[in-house]
Amino acid sequence: MKPKILLRRMLRSPQFLIGFLIVTTVVLISVFADRLAPMDENLNHIVNRFTPPQGLGAMAGGYVLGTDELGRDILSRVLIGSKISLTIAFVSTLLVAVTGTFLGVIAGYFGGVVDDIVMRATEVTMAIPSMTLGIVIMAIFGPSISNLVLVMVITSWKSFAKVSRNQVMVMRNREFVQASRALGGSGWHIMLTQIMPNVTTPLLIQLSGTFGGIILTEAGLSYLYLGVQLPDPSWGNMIAGGRTYLAAYPWMVIVPGMALMITVLGFNFLGDGLRDILDPKQSR
Amino acid sequence: MVKFFTKRILCLLLVVWIVSVLAFVMMRLAPGDAAVMALPDYASEEQIALMRTKLGLDKPYITQYFMYLGGLFRGDFGTSVLYERPCLDVIMERLPATLSVTVVCSAMVLLISIPLGIIAGVNKGGPVDFFAVLFALLGQSMSVVWICVLLLLLCSVRHNWLPSMGYEGLRDIRYLIMPAIAMGYKMCAGMVRMGRSGMIDVLDEDYITCAYARGMSPWAVNCKYAFKNSIIPVITIFGMDVASMLAGAVIIETTFTIPGIGSMLVKAVSNRDYPLTQSTLVVTAAMFAIVNLVVDIVNALIDRRMKLN
Repeated sequence: MKPKILLRRMLRSPQFLIGFLIVTTVVLISVFADRLAPMDENLNHIVNRFTPPQGLGAMAGGYVLGTDELGRDILSRVLIGSKISLTIAFVSTLLVAVTGTFLGVIAGYFGGVVDDIVMRATEVTMAIPSMTLGIVIMAIFGPSISNLVLVMVITSWKSFAKVSRNQVMVMRNREFVQASRALGGSGWHIMLTQIMPNVTTPLLIQLSGTFGGIILTEAGLSYLYLGVQLPDPSWGNMIAGGRTYLAAYPWMVIVPGMALMITVLGFNFLGDGLRDILDPKQSR
Repeated sequence: MVKFFTKRILCLLLVVWIVSVLAFVMMRLAPGDAAVMALPDYASEEQIALMRTKLGLDKPYITQYFMYLGGLFRGDFGTSVLYERPCLDVIMERLPATLSVTVVCSAMVLLISIPLGIIAGVNKGGPVDFFAVLFALLGQSMSVVWICVLLLLLCSVRHNWLPSMGYEGLRDIRYLIMPAIAMGYKMCAGMVRMGRSGMIDVLDEDYITCAYARGMSPWAVNCKYAFKNSIIPVITIFGMDVASMLAGAVIIETTFTIPGIGSMLVKAVSNRDYPLTQSTLVVTAAMFAIVNLVVDIVNALIDRRMKLN
């Protein structure tokens, strides 16, 4: 697609624009979280605990979004939490995309037994809900970041595998692939240089949605204290910590909850927008 | 038809079997000695050795696996270390709570999502459609955790509408409303989107144009032709969601203290009750298989065109 057309479509899609804006902001915030955070996220002033949000006026030395039960600055914790959540989501999404696409492409290209094995494997991972599997793995093998990433890869690879498999199945018998085969191209050559470039569009769309989904799963596990471990802040464990004080100090829960919702909304908007732009036929 | 279902059943049995193998391997990979876990801290060496023999841990893995598999066939899933009772009994005891949340939630989801999705699809671009898309997008972006908290804040803290926790079975449905909404919103969101896009796709088809050409009213076309074919993917994802609900909506059950399978699983894993964890995984996979089969049958009944292969 020509860049000019692409740009025009981008500017015409409000979903894409909103999503892009939110995602860029969130990513920038998380990258510079250390500098943006007004205080050390674990510094506690027990005297100041349960301070209600003081608003932007309190930028210098105050608590813009209030404090939690230990008197830690919620703004700083949300910012550092965004860094942790987004890093986990980024690494996981990358691994999920690579594993899922690889398995999907070989399944679609070779067909037969390979296809059967990969498809049965997707069914097996579907048979256990991601939260259930996540809890079992995290609780038994210990809640570390690498195990968290492992959980995400095991539970999310299947959507990439399915999408890429179906695309490859369509592409496999097209003329240019046959031509490449006739010219003596090897299986890997055909897969990587002929088929892959033609199946990237739906995968790109999938990527954004997966990113949002992984952030949600991480928040869920952290909420059960089986994800990011205290004292490291994560939106999930901040909500869990604030739940006890919900009646009296609701901001402890509302702030991380809003951050979580806006971020995932941004990624979902971006995904839908990308679908509108790259694949207008499919866009609904 | 018979051939199709035999094949499906075999496939699903294969899935359950693989899950049982994986569960077995995972529990053996887990750190810690199951015999030590099963005994109190002060147990002597002999007692531990005795326990190992009793649990069959002194035999090679292959023998252990066949013992476990044989047990599964007899309906013997092992004994829970935590509850000191057969695992299957513990799971069965927890099932009603999970089941009642699932039933209330499914009813709510079906009543809301199908009409909303269909109406949105028919009136593409209209105000209902806009609302439906927004509703779905929000639902897909909210964490279940966040929905739970917002509901609690609104219905229990600000207004004293609903009890914040507890479970009274189906006798007192008020306890089930918040868990059902929290669980159902996300499901609803997915189904509304699916129903809407399915409807839009189907309304583009030639046979719809043909139906109009024969002078049928829009109402009849939508209900008689379009609805039936757009509903199939919706039922499929509904089935998957129900299956995962039956496995226990862990976050909801712990938040609203519902004594279901999800909260049991959390208790089991945090106490390193490996037999119970293992059986929960197998039962979960079996429920997934059954629900999937039901979905296939329902879809085949709705759509006679389906070539069942």
